[in-house]
Amino acid sequence: MNIWQVLSSTWNMEPWVLVSALAVLVAYGLGTGFKFTKLSALFITGITIYVLALVSPLDYLGRTYLFSANMIQHILLLLVVPLLLLLGIPKTLAEKALAIEPIGAVMKVLGNPIVAWFLGVGSMWVWHLPSLHESVLANDNLYITQQISFVLIGMIFWWPVFAPVESRRLSPLVSTLYLSSACLGCTILGMLITFAGAGLYASYMTPVDTIGILPLLRGELCLTPGVDQQIGGLTMWVPGCLIYLAASMVTIARWYGAPEDYEISSNSGAEGLLTATQENK
Amino acid sequence: MSTRIPLVPENIKPLPSLKGNEGMLSWVSSVDHKQIGLMYLMSTLVFFIIGGLEALVIRIQLAQPEFDFISPEVYNQMFTMHGTTMIFFVVMPFLIGVGVYLVPLMIGARDMAFPRLNALSFWLVIFGGILLYYSFLTQSGPSEVGWFAYAPLSEKPFSLNKGPTYWALGLLAVGISSVSSGLNNIVTILTMRVKGMTMRRLPLFVWMILVTSFILIFVIPIIASAFAMMLLDRLLDATFFTPAHGGSAILWQHFFWGFGHPEVYILILPAFGIISEVIPVFSRKPIFGYSFVAGSTVAIGLLSVGVWAHHMFAVGLGNVANAYFSLASMLIAIPTGVKVLNWVATMWGGKIYFATPMLFATAFIIEFVMGGLTGVAIASAPINWVTTDTYFIVAHFHYVLFGGSLFAIFAGVYYWFPKFTGRMMSETLGKWHFWLTVVGFNMTFFIQHFLGVMGMPRRTYTYHDLPYWGSMNLLSTIGAFVLAISVIIFAWNIIWSLKHGKKAPDNPWNAWTLEWYTTSPPAVHNFDLVPPVRGRRPLWDLAHPDQLDEPNSKVV
Amino acid sequence: MANNKMLIGFFVASESIFFVMLILAYVNFHGTVTDGPTAANSLDPLRTGIFSLFLLASSFSMWLAGRSLVSKNHFMMKIWILVTIILGVLFIYGQASEWMGLIGQNITISRNVFGTTFFTLTGFHGFHVCVGLLMLTILLGLAMFGDFKGPKSDGVECISIYWHFVDGVWIVVYSVIYLWAFF
Repeated sequence: MNIWQVLSSTWNMEPWVLVSALAVLVAYGLGTGFKFTKLSALFITGITIYVLALVSPLDYLGRTYLFSANMIQHILLLLVVPLLLLLGIPKTLAEKALAIEPIGAVMKVLGNPIVAWFLGVGSMWVWHLPSLHESVLANDNLYITQQISFVLIGMIFWWPVFAPVESRRLSPLVSTLYLSSACLGCTILGMLITFAGAGLYASYMTPVDTIGILPLLRGELCLTPGVDQQIGGLTMWVPGCLIYLAASMVTIARWYGAPEDYEISSNSGAEGLLTATQENK
Repeated sequence: MSTRIPLVPENIKPLPSLKGNEGMLSWVSSVDHKQIGLMYLMSTLVFFIIGGLEALVIRIQLAQPEFDFISPEVYNQMFTMHGTTMIFFVVMPFLIGVGVYLVPLMIGARDMAFPRLNALSFWLVIFGGILLYYSFLTQSGPSEVGWFAYAPLSEKPFSLNKGPTYWALGLLAVGISSVSSGLNNIVTILTMRVKGMTMRRLPLFVWMILVTSFILIFVIPIIASAFAMMLLDRLLDATFFTPAHGGSAILWQHFFWGFGHPEVYILILPAFGIISEVIPVFSRKPIFGYSFVAGSTVAIGLLSVGVWAHHMFAVGLGNVANAYFSLASMLIAIPTGVKVLNWVATMWGGKIYFATPMLFATAFIIEFVMGGLTGVAIASAPINWVTTDTYFIVAHFHYVLFGGSLFAIFAGVYYWFPKFTGRMMSETLGKWHFWLTVVGFNMTFFIQHFLGVMGMPRRTYTYHDLPYWGSMNLLSTIGAFVLAISVIIFAWNIIWSLKHGKKAPDNPWNAWTLEWYTTSPPAVHNFDLVPPVRGRRPLWDLAHPDQLDEPNSKVV
Repeated sequence: MANNKMLIGFFVASESIFFVMLILAYVNFHGTVTDGPTAANSLDPLRTGIFSLFLLASSFSMWLAGRSLVSKNHFMMKIWILVTIILGVLFIYGQASEWMGLIGQNITISRNVFGTTFFTLTGFHGFHVCVGLLMLTILLGLAMFGDFKGPKSDGVECISIYWHFVDGVWIVVYSVIYLWAFF
């Protein structure tokens, strides 16, 4: 098999992926009245990436052969898909949903930046513990749980920064601290994986080569277990961090773009100093 | 100005001076941010001269092939002390010191948030400097292991002298000082701004100091922990960085560059801030793309902490890691390029007035871009392998740190000297200083690119008489002496202007930020009154009530 | 003023990077020790675990001291600060006796990388606990002379933030050194 045959033959149309994607899309359509807007384009892109990450060769390779493919899938599901979904939710829909008692109360707890931060960074760490990772690869139900938890926790993680309702967002400078500290958490994990030495995740050392592509991967593409693990760790470390970084640049750009009220905040300024602002009134 | 509201109770006592009856004590015991700022600046001038003399010794030794002006040991001590002094005791304290002086003035505050912590930060720098230079008095002299102190060379079996111990202790003191001044700046900027001075109206210099302070408090602990480990290794026979006993020398490199690369941005971001203040004033135009300059600073700050491994391409991290880090490092060129374009666009179509500060600022752009371009080149792993540890790298970082940071520092000194002292610096001497600096600097370092490509290794005390090497090195040494003359002129200009300089008005350059509103030099309490801040150029708004800047104007 | 609490907040953030680096050094060498003492063959997680409970409890008592401050209960605030100090001293006693035991078995900082990283990490943490105890003692002394009547005091609140931080660091350190080795 050459590389193109591998990429074309390893699509895996898992029903749960398609059903969940369709259900979410229909719910979204019902909520927004099936109008095609800029927001719905974001949402649909998110769903498309979600489906692609789970049915494309990325999924197959990641579950059997390559840790790096698995890592790319995780980054997509934890960082990219939830962000797009969250950005795609219109403000009015979110306000309506938050007005419903249980949803509003739950989001008040989960949307707390400290809770959200620990859930987001924690899920990254916990799901990459070697022993847990092995059980995920062996158990289909756990695997599905993992993927869905990535998307849900990802949305919770992005909530304090990109919540559709502005009042739920952190201020841009605090968002930057929130995101850069998350990036640090991600960096440390990526660093540990990169420099741990081959064999951190045992099943990628000797995959069950059902379709006979191992010689291709190991030989022609030079993806030895060590290199594969390094790519995985570095993918989490560098591009993973760049997503956080880009997000904080977006918040800062949005902040600079927003008009600033001339009205001065009511606090008393520095050490009770007064300025002559009154004269402008 | 119809009505103004007095700020604080009258305080007519002028700034304490050396001539006053309180004398030195009023300086030593001072917690006033302006006095501490001036003490920072004066001490960095002293360290600058010491570091410069060390550089001259290096250049004399290299002037001729197989020269023996000094022994190899002394040569190693000289380049170690030169690098350490210039980075930790000249550029860093200067930028922190000028920040300490100007931040409260620019945001309309009375002082820093924590004046005593501020004094502690300053005295720790002096203490660190004394510790570092005390090592000259030990029997085998100061550290010989370079400013990066790679293990295991800096470890016991290889460096039995006390030098590296004093080096680490001195830098630990400076590290604590940097963290405390970073914390102080952050709290000051976030909480002490005068009404109307919102975060989006902060002068760009203050923005850069804010971002630098965040970098400081998050990366200095990295090197502080590494210094602690190195000291434990040296003093208690711990085994962190000794491979012979199970430790890892590479771990030191990760720790060191984890700090060392962000450090580069600590050294350059406030310099960007100075340039962003000087260029608009002398082009008589508001800064082009304020939000891009401020935003790109945040991007640089965030990127800077994630790319240290490009200093370690020669270690053998593996091709994958090298590729990722090459790409990530090159990304930093984008926000930096954004800044350069903004400065050029600010000058474009402006009424440019080439006073000495502006000359240095303009030269800064050119020299810094040179250093930046070689930086992008050596971010590529294959080029890096060829040039690493050659004079190409020496040329690169001198273009960034001398052509960059130091040119900006000179611009800043000429720009704010009237505010600091109440007297203008001599323009004639200033222009001599400028041209001699430009000529001397390029003469010294441009040629080193070629030496590097020809393979001349750095940190080697002499070289064989290969074709052209002798003459190129001689040229470089002559350039260093031209630089020395320019520094003498600079120091003379400061001393002469302090006594005989023209009296400076409050706002000699017609600038727009708040520090120019108060007297020159400012009174102890900084401001009697603070004008209303309703845009990014409060003094412009004050002078042109009919042509107010749009609040947050996005056009230029 | 919010200044003081903001300062201590950023200070704690800066300090946490320091500990992250020490922990990374420990993690880096975890598993590279081929002979000599390791966490698994020379530490007692149960004994240290019990002493850790004292530190956790001290965080709780410090929180109660803060509550007493808010409710202007000066007497109970002094009691809770005293309890915090006693619990902190007990923790330090536990750590000191653990060190003495290890050094008695010739497990020292220079023995191998386990010793190096273990003593450095726990030592720096212990140092921070001692600094915290010093500050708490000053706090108690000032309270004895009638300070901190409430309902607000930056002194109490800032030291409390620092103390919770030291406690939080220990949870991570304990997990990395003791739990990782045995579970």
